[in-house]
Amino acid sequence: MSGALRILRAGPLATIQDRGRPGMLRYGIGASGAMVKGAFAAAGGLLERRGSAGIEFTTTGLDFAVDCDLQAGFCGGAFRLTVNGEARNWDAAHRLEAGAVVRIAPGGWGNYGYLRLDREIATTPLLGSRSTNSVVGLGGFEGRALLAGDRLPLGEAGEEAGTECAAPAAPDDRPVRVLWGLHADLFPSVLRSRFVSTPFEISKRLDRMGVRLDNGGVFPQDRILSLVSDAVVAGDIQILGDGTPIVLMRDHQPTGGYPRIATIITADLDRFAQMRPGTFVRFEPVTLDRALAAGKGAL
Amino acid sequence: MDESLPLPTIMPLGDRALLIRFGTTLTDGANRAAIALARRLEAAVPVGVEEIDPNLISVLLRYDPAKIEPQRLAGEVRLMASAAADGREFEARRHTIKVRFGGEDGPDLDAVAAMLGLTVGDFLEAHNVRPLRVLTTGFAPGFVYCGFHPPALVLPRRSEVRGRVPPGTILFAAGQTAITSTPIPTGWHVIGRTDFSNFDATAMPPTRLREGDDVQFAEAGA
Repeated sequence: MSGALRILRAGPLATIQDRGRPGMLRYGIGASGAMVKGAFAAAGGLLERRGSAGIEFTTTGLDFAVDCDLQAGFCGGAFRLTVNGEARNWDAAHRLEAGAVVRIAPGGWGNYGYLRLDREIATTPLLGSRSTNSVVGLGGFEGRALLAGDRLPLGEAGEEAGTECAAPAAPDDRPVRVLWGLHADLFPSVLRSRFVSTPFEISKRLDRMGVRLDNGGVFPQDRILSLVSDAVVAGDIQILGDGTPIVLMRDHQPTGGYPRIATIITADLDRFAQMRPGTFVRFEPVTLDRALAAGKGAL
Repeated sequence: MDESLPLPTIMPLGDRALLIRFGTTLTDGANRAAIALARRLEAAVPVGVEEIDPNLISVLLRYDPAKIEPQRLAGEVRLMASAAADGREFEARRHTIKVRFGGEDGPDLDAVAAMLGLTVGDFLEAHNVRPLRVLTTGFAPGFVYCGFHPPALVLPRRSEVRGRVPPGTILFAAGQTAITSTPIPTGWHVIGRTDFSNFDATAMPPTRLREGDDVQFAEAGA
């Protein structure tokens, strides 16, 4: 197998992603990987064979053309899909013929969607992964987000897909569950109570590194804490000096020095990642046991 | 250190990792303990552990909850920390890093020496008098913190953050000297530049310096 996929239009921050490069924190490198792991896996599960990497795109979508016959899986959020101008179902696999032009246009919900193919995207893996870390400029396609005109070489057939998994549902009103974080004890109890009782608005300032929340007047602006820089995990909620909460996401720095009040549990991180700017999130602290029970089978 | 490590605090960091911390302030003892525990864990990786990540005063352990319960893992780590060491605390390789101090490569050198009440020559002599320990790699790929300088060489960071500095920049603040390996913005004082490269994404491992190693800084051409 071979061929190529040509990008005709790329929204901001369309990147090649896979399961990421875990295990590199000690070298100062975060894992990256798909922002919505469940949707990335579901897109692959739609296919008879699947390459290990795919393309993650943001709300404005992606247009591309292929120069060979292949099968492609589409999942994550809700987007409007056409192949050569004809409407096709989202959350579905489609056969594309050589020359096919695919347009993925904005749809009803979600920040991220995924395209998986029946073969590999033949960019060079770095440190065991094709994921793009666009903050560092590592991996993916020339270490950067995709642009119109990019031609992605396609490679060998992917492995036979395993079990099909359900496409994740749209985020609902349920609270996002958290564990109290590394520095929760440094926040006075009144602030912790307000953190739990206040709905926070998802701001427009979100990317693969982090999601800024509207402060909602919860955290004072004059908090100055001198903390030893320590390990960060995806889902950590840190509070900046001006009181802004930021949820650290897949391209987070490996360490951080801002106080972290809580960490979103694995089972709820995909759902949080799909919440659009302008929607509100409420946080609900749970025990580690509950987080583990909820996370059984989560990626 | 023929003795057990200080008692760590073990806490969950999310539901897929434990953070094992030796205190809340950056001390020589806490850093040594974190490095020593990481080495012990690497020598006998507990079942279910997917990643061992030593930091300034802690070790992050990422685990697979399908393979080990975090409570059990915490118990094993406590046992490992309390076991007596057999001889050397940890192996330390020695590296010499040649640095072009001052000038365009180190625009803050003169100010740093002045703030410490030293001539540039006396500062460099004090800075390079003995090897520093690689405290950890973190913040950015291949970025290493080296320490510790004596109290007479301790300065806070700059009040303003400087735009991106190139790889190989030698930074100085908070009783430490750091080396960048990728372009990053920094609030540290920029005192020099080295041709030594500590990050190669095509190699495994991708870094040459490891926590616990000794780094001897020296003036290039000297």
